[in-house]
Amino acid sequence: MTLAAPAPVTTRRRLRVGRLPATAVAGGVILLISLFLGLFPQLVAPYDPTVFDYNALLAAPSGAHWFGTDSFGRDVFTRVVYAYGLDLQIAVFATIPSFIIGTIVGALVGYSGPLVQAIFGRIVDAVITFPFLVLVIAIVAVLGPGLVNMYIAVGVVGWVFYARLVSAEVRVQKRLDYADAGRVMGYRPWRIIFLHLLPNSITPAIVYLMTDMALAILLGSSLGYLGLGAQPPASEWGVQIADGKNFMSTAWWIGVFPGIAIVITGLGFSLLGDGLAELLRTKK
Amino acid sequence: MTAGMATPAAPVLSVRNLTTTFSTSAGRVAAVDDVSFDVMPGEVLGVVGESGSGKSVTLRSIMRLIHSPGQVTGSATWHGRDLLGLSERELRKVRGGEIAMIFQEPTTALNPVLPVGLQIEENLKAHTPLDRAGRRLRAIELMNLVGIPEPERRLRDYPHQFSGGMRQRAMIAISLASNPRLLLADEPTTALDVTIQDQILKLLLELKRELGMSVVFVTHDLGVVAATCDRLAVMYAGRIVESGPVRAVFEEPRHAYTRGLLGSVPRSGAERTMLLSIEGTPPSLAAIPTGCAFNPRCSFATDICRRDKPQLSPIDGGRLVACHHHDQVAAAGSPIA
Amino acid sequence: MSPLPQKVLISAQEVSKEFRLPQTLGRRLRGQPPLAVHALNGVTFTLHHGETLGIVGESGCGKSTLARCLVRLLDCDDGKVLFEGKDIAALAGPDLRAFNRRAQMIFQDPYSSLNPRMTVRQMLNEALSVHRMRPRAKIPARIDELLDLVRLPADAADRYPHEFSGGQRQRIGIARALAVEPEVLVADELVSALDVSVQAQVVNLLLQLQEQLNLTVVFVAHDLRLVRHISHRVAVMYLGRIVEIGPTEQLFSSPRHPYTRALLDAAPELDPGTRSTKVAARGELPSPINLPKGCAFHTRCPHAFERCAIERPILSPRGPAHEAACHLTAFGLPSAAPIAEDTVGS
Repeated sequence: MTLAAPAPVTTRRRLRVGRLPATAVAGGVILLISLFLGLFPQLVAPYDPTVFDYNALLAAPSGAHWFGTDSFGRDVFTRVVYAYGLDLQIAVFATIPSFIIGTIVGALVGYSGPLVQAIFGRIVDAVITFPFLVLVIAIVAVLGPGLVNMYIAVGVVGWVFYARLVSAEVRVQKRLDYADAGRVMGYRPWRIIFLHLLPNSITPAIVYLMTDMALAILLGSSLGYLGLGAQPPASEWGVQIADGKNFMSTAWWIGVFPGIAIVITGLGFSLLGDGLAELLRTKK
Repeated sequence: MTAGMATPAAPVLSVRNLTTTFSTSAGRVAAVDDVSFDVMPGEVLGVVGESGSGKSVTLRSIMRLIHSPGQVTGSATWHGRDLLGLSERELRKVRGGEIAMIFQEPTTALNPVLPVGLQIEENLKAHTPLDRAGRRLRAIELMNLVGIPEPERRLRDYPHQFSGGMRQRAMIAISLASNPRLLLADEPTTALDVTIQDQILKLLLELKRELGMSVVFVTHDLGVVAATCDRLAVMYAGRIVESGPVRAVFEEPRHAYTRGLLGSVPRSGAERTMLLSIEGTPPSLAAIPTGCAFNPRCSFATDICRRDKPQLSPIDGGRLVACHHHDQVAAAGSPIA
Repeated sequence: MSPLPQKVLISAQEVSKEFRLPQTLGRRLRGQPPLAVHALNGVTFTLHHGETLGIVGESGCGKSTLARCLVRLLDCDDGKVLFEGKDIAALAGPDLRAFNRRAQMIFQDPYSSLNPRMTVRQMLNEALSVHRMRPRAKIPARIDELLDLVRLPADAADRYPHEFSGGQRQRIGIARALAVEPEVLVADELVSALDVSVQAQVVNLLLQLQEQLNLTVVFVAHDLRLVRHISHRVAVMYLGRIVEIGPTEQLFSSPRHPYTRALLDAAPELDPGTRSTKVAARGELPSPINLPKGCAFHTRCPHAFERCAIERPILSPRGPAHEAACHLTAFGLPSAAPIAEDTVGS
């Protein structure tokens, strides 16, 4: 039967900046700025984050202290800026290992037979039944507080989500003719899985990675707030929010500005993820 | 310009200057460009073309199935009334009642969650004054008419319980429920096996005879045209390039595209020889060549073809052709003669 | 048409394949095995060097499954496929890869048979380097040669599949298959998804390539006219079995099996003069899950009698290199007694 020509469809004209989607550009800009602040905080922050200024305890935002000071007299703006480095680190180390492990396992599972997929399915069920935060806290409680332990805890649990996404997509791609074409060509399974199927299956995982990075910052901040992640006096937004929780009515700026920083950075990742999804969408 | 006729009978459907455009990322694009034709009472008119020719869009435009951002202009006169100008209410009375349409994929055209009998009866309820008992009887009558065995039992079955050929028959039964005068068929047998296609085509011809319908049959298969149609219109890039009685067109095609299509079909007696193929591919609707849309692929093309778009003009025998060099094409002979 | 004393390249012997459906609770409780789609039910034929064998049939006949079994994309449940006398099911590792090199396949759907994320150059490069068809330095030139062979412009190499039309994509698929210089090409509905005028281009290309490269082709299709045009011999399949096989012209001018006859009668001719109102074959295709007993075609055959419902006919000779599986050994002979009239009907 003849394939009918695709009917001319109007797609909502998505905003573009040059050849890139506007969302990707906006997200990219936010993250580039964040990266700059993370690498060179000393160029932007006016003060030293560890210096106490007993003359300006709990000072409201002013010309000298744009975001005010905290209960130790530390400039909040400086601390928020210095926290970029640590929080971006969390975004990367709490996600990339899961991404790598999950993608590889997912690709292998997706290509395997029903028995392997059934076992994998049960593992996924087991992991997603529990709230993610609870699992991570449980593992950190065993290993002890600290960022490295947090990375381990997230890695142990988090790979499952990537593996699920990738294996589902690989299962779909495996049925397409180009996968059969690879087999008829006599290519070995590893080549078919990693050089043919995976590039076509990885987009959902990449987009999820972006969202995951935003969530990782939240996770790090939550654990920091609970005292299980970064430990004071480290500059980390969660720790800062924890510091500020007792002063919400009297010195709101201590907790609110780190919170805004989390939102903006998270937004940056989300926008970039959205833009990447559009860029990577396979054209037919 | 009308698809001229030899008999003085009035056409049942008269389409004039039908133009359907869509807005795409490449601007406004015409899927159907200034198409005009007539359908005579009791005839089967074949509309032939490949992908992008606009043949399906033409049918849908007539039935007002084109949604925005598509825009339809022109007129489609049915028994004195312009279908494109009717109100929703009046259109509903005509659609499914006097004019019926069947589609290529019965799987998607039938409602999967309603039993087939109910779908037939729905049509009857909308377009006939029959009561419930009368509708049921008529539904069984229709199932028999289209050759579905054990109709009383099958009335309660859902579309997925029918095979492909049976589903197509069910769709025909639904569309014929209120004795339409005109049937628009959009590639109804393309997705069917050849023996089933044969059954459905012969069924359609038989029904046409019994019910006195006219049929517009959209297809890409010239064999189907030869087997079922009285006249045909060949479409390319949204326009009709040739039309006329099937036999005359097949014996003496006057447009290079028609000739190329006829030559592309393998025929007996010339096994393992090169088929007469048309170089190149149909143009994207957003980038139609200037002058005659077919000129880049045409072996008869000259400068005038690249400049002036040929208009559909009448020649003898009730035929129309849009080609600057149609005499030369005719002289080159038919690939199937 | 050259005679066929050439050597046998592929020999299929009683090839059978079924696809199990998921077991339902009801059947499990009743102690019954799961239902299965019986795609192939004992297919036997030989393929000779240099010929084009057309395999034709409607849905459910198993022709695509057979195509995949021939190149070992699927393993048969029963029976075997011999390539140059060796059972392909026994091949593994480098021997299997060597077989893949020599028997290639081209697929039906131009939109899913090419990896959307690889350029044409990357695809052809991969094929050429994995099989060590050329030293690394000579690969770019070979890629140009292959593109030229399938009539694609040289600049096509650095483009992605979505930049090509359906017909061009099929050519790329052909180029990829030819990159490993196979002896046998299995084309599974090569042109079914293409427009008529594009079909003609690709068919012409295939005919030329076959001459040029001395290929053996298995052409699987449902379009009788196309199969007749391109094949030396034709096998007609119905519900997983070959019902008739023979030289093209003989088979089409005097079919010896009622199903072949029905297929020919059903296919619309390009001649507006010959129209008939008689239906070629009545009834529906039976489901391959529940095969009819005896002859698979007996439920729709206008000439069926008692024996047809009980005993399955086997392929037996009707003429030189011409076999049919029908109890009516005289069917189709011009001198045979008139057979019962076809009934008109659904």
